[in-house]
Amino acid sequence: MASARRYLAQAVLYALFFLPIVYITHQPLHRHLPEEMAELKIAVRHAGKVIGECTDVVAADYRALPGAAVRPQICPRERSPLQLELVLDGDILYRDTVPASGLHDDGVSSIYRRFTIPAGTHRLLLRMNDDVAVAGYPWELEAEVALQPAQVLVASFKDGFRLE
Amino acid sequence: MKALLKRGFNLLDSLFSRAFTPAWNPLYQLGALSFFYFWIVAVTGVYLFIFFETSISGAYSSIEQITHGQWYIGGVMRSFHRYASAAMGICVTLHVLREFAMDRYSGPRWFSWVSGIPLLWLLFASAIGGYWLVWDQQAQYIAILTAEWFDALPIMVDPMASLFLNESTLSDRFFSLLVFLHIGIPLALLLGMFIHIKRVTAPRSNPARGLAAGTLLAMLAVSLWRPALSQAPANLDMAVTEVGLDWVFLNPYPLINSWGPGNTWVLLVGLSTVLCLLPWMPSRRPKRTPVAVVDPDNCNGCGWCLADCPYEAVSMKEHDFKKGHKQSVVDPDLCVSCGICAGACPSSSPFRHVDELTTGISIPELHIKELLARTEASLAKLSTDQPRIMLYGCDHGSVVPDIQSSTVAAISMPCAALVPPAFVDYVLRQDLAEGVLISGCCEGDCFHRLGNTWVDQRFSMERMPVLRTRVPRERVRLRWLGAQGTRALQREVVEFQRELAEAPALIDLEDVSSG
Repeated sequence: MASARRYLAQAVLYALFFLPIVYITHQPLHRHLPEEMAELKIAVRHAGKVIGECTDVVAADYRALPGAAVRPQICPRERSPLQLELVLDGDILYRDTVPASGLHDDGVSSIYRRFTIPAGTHRLLLRMNDDVAVAGYPWELEAEVALQPAQVLVASFKDGFRLE
Repeated sequence: MKALLKRGFNLLDSLFSRAFTPAWNPLYQLGALSFFYFWIVAVTGVYLFIFFETSISGAYSSIEQITHGQWYIGGVMRSFHRYASAAMGICVTLHVLREFAMDRYSGPRWFSWVSGIPLLWLLFASAIGGYWLVWDQQAQYIAILTAEWFDALPIMVDPMASLFLNESTLSDRFFSLLVFLHIGIPLALLLGMFIHIKRVTAPRSNPARGLAAGTLLAMLAVSLWRPALSQAPANLDMAVTEVGLDWVFLNPYPLINSWGPGNTWVLLVGLSTVLCLLPWMPSRRPKRTPVAVVDPDNCNGCGWCLADCPYEAVSMKEHDFKKGHKQSVVDPDLCVSCGICAGACPSSSPFRHVDELTTGISIPELHIKELLARTEASLAKLSTDQPRIMLYGCDHGSVVPDIQSSTVAAISMPCAALVPPAFVDYVLRQDLAEGVLISGCCEGDCFHRLGNTWVDQRFSMERMPVLRTRVPRERVRLRWLGAQGTRALQREVVEFQRELAEAPALIDLEDVSSG
């Protein structure tokens, strides 16, 4: 009788251990994105223009170079940072300058941002400068977008902005 | 907070010991249970891997097939996989809290404590990786947030989150990588778990069989009643709105979103650092007592102290002056001055023909000579109105000085295993008391890990030094009632005295045996 009571108590304690596990492994639900909201993602991976010009190698420089490294021009490696601006319905939502990657700033610049915005129709302006020698924004995209609730709109860049 | 936590655990200990018996008490084997759950996850994971397809479309559909197409085995395996990992997460959390509450993380125990902190990260990483593989709404949620979380690290050049922009940016190779990680990280966890218990003598990595069987049965019941299911399939073209989360492992994720990835790194890395430094916090550092000392004149190199030290603080070397003999050596960095070695030393016998009792190894805080003197002095004061009891207790178990009376002498010491069995024999044989009672921490939950286990084994003649057969067992009691059991111990003493009063006198027993 005593052992039956003990096993019953064990069953209760096992239940008290596992039932909360069953519950908390999927409940309570977590609201990640409020209702009537959508997401806008910007993902740009682009190499800025090289800063500076290539210069011709003069005869004196040839002598300083090892035989296998002889070339007609010496070119700088550093690339321009990317200046990106996102304007939504006339308000600046994001503006940043992202340097080139690499120890010598000679790699690509990468930008990723996720924004939560209300669903509905918006006027979107994306512009980017990838050359410090040029003023303003050589790359620009302006569009009117209609977003459904929970829709994900991705703005990426490849020879120009594009929306997906 | 710590005292409150300790009180809570003590209450739960009593409750669980009553239901499970101390030998099966799950709270005394949280580490072993964690190992057990790991093996369940590993075995069920191998089964699930056989049917899992490592592709964008195949990942979700293959798991659905396992869950519903073969619910009787695959579905149960999947549920075991999920519930065992969650149970492991909870057991590990309780294990950390318990070791903290019971002050078992500093001194020589720092290694197990500190080596356990990276294991928490590996455990979480293993579980999170598993949830990605399902590729449902929850997987989509944690994939994007994990990527954004890692992108906050300055070492990341290309944003990982760019992998999850929309359906077109994800490739099948991503799932091959995930599977690789979901096998590799748990293997690293297993290696870490072995390192975690490396410096522990006789580590317990298997729970009691009855407890293991009960756990399996309970898990089978919940797996059949509420099988683990996937949520709606992931769709990167639509954002996750409301999602069911495994709050055991995914609780930091809402923080990443609301607090920002950088702040979450600071919080979690900061918390881990504080946990790692905890053993050396000035307020938490235990009082350092002088470590055990070996007396080469009285050490015969038997190695019993080496076998009994729970902290591997004793080793053997060539004897200082007896050629061809061994001698014990104490590592001061590992010794906690529990005195278990003194209780194991065959030289710790009051029957030895020496002018002054000494022994091969003893702790300066309570030398065996002093223990004998205190025993004799306290027993000499007792009245003979009732059977006299010698009560030995440990500083971490029931409070024995509270039980002291005109017929009960009580001595508390760092560990009950400090009492050599020969002392019990001596007290009864010299007619200093009618009974000896040794008490200490709860069975299976000794503060010094193995003290009460060694005493049990010595007194049941399974471990050296044994309690000699001539000692009448009815005059000796071992009671492991823990810190919360002082009142129960008091009742035990009264009961013991009553029984002794009714028992025949020792001299009568000897007459019977000699006659």
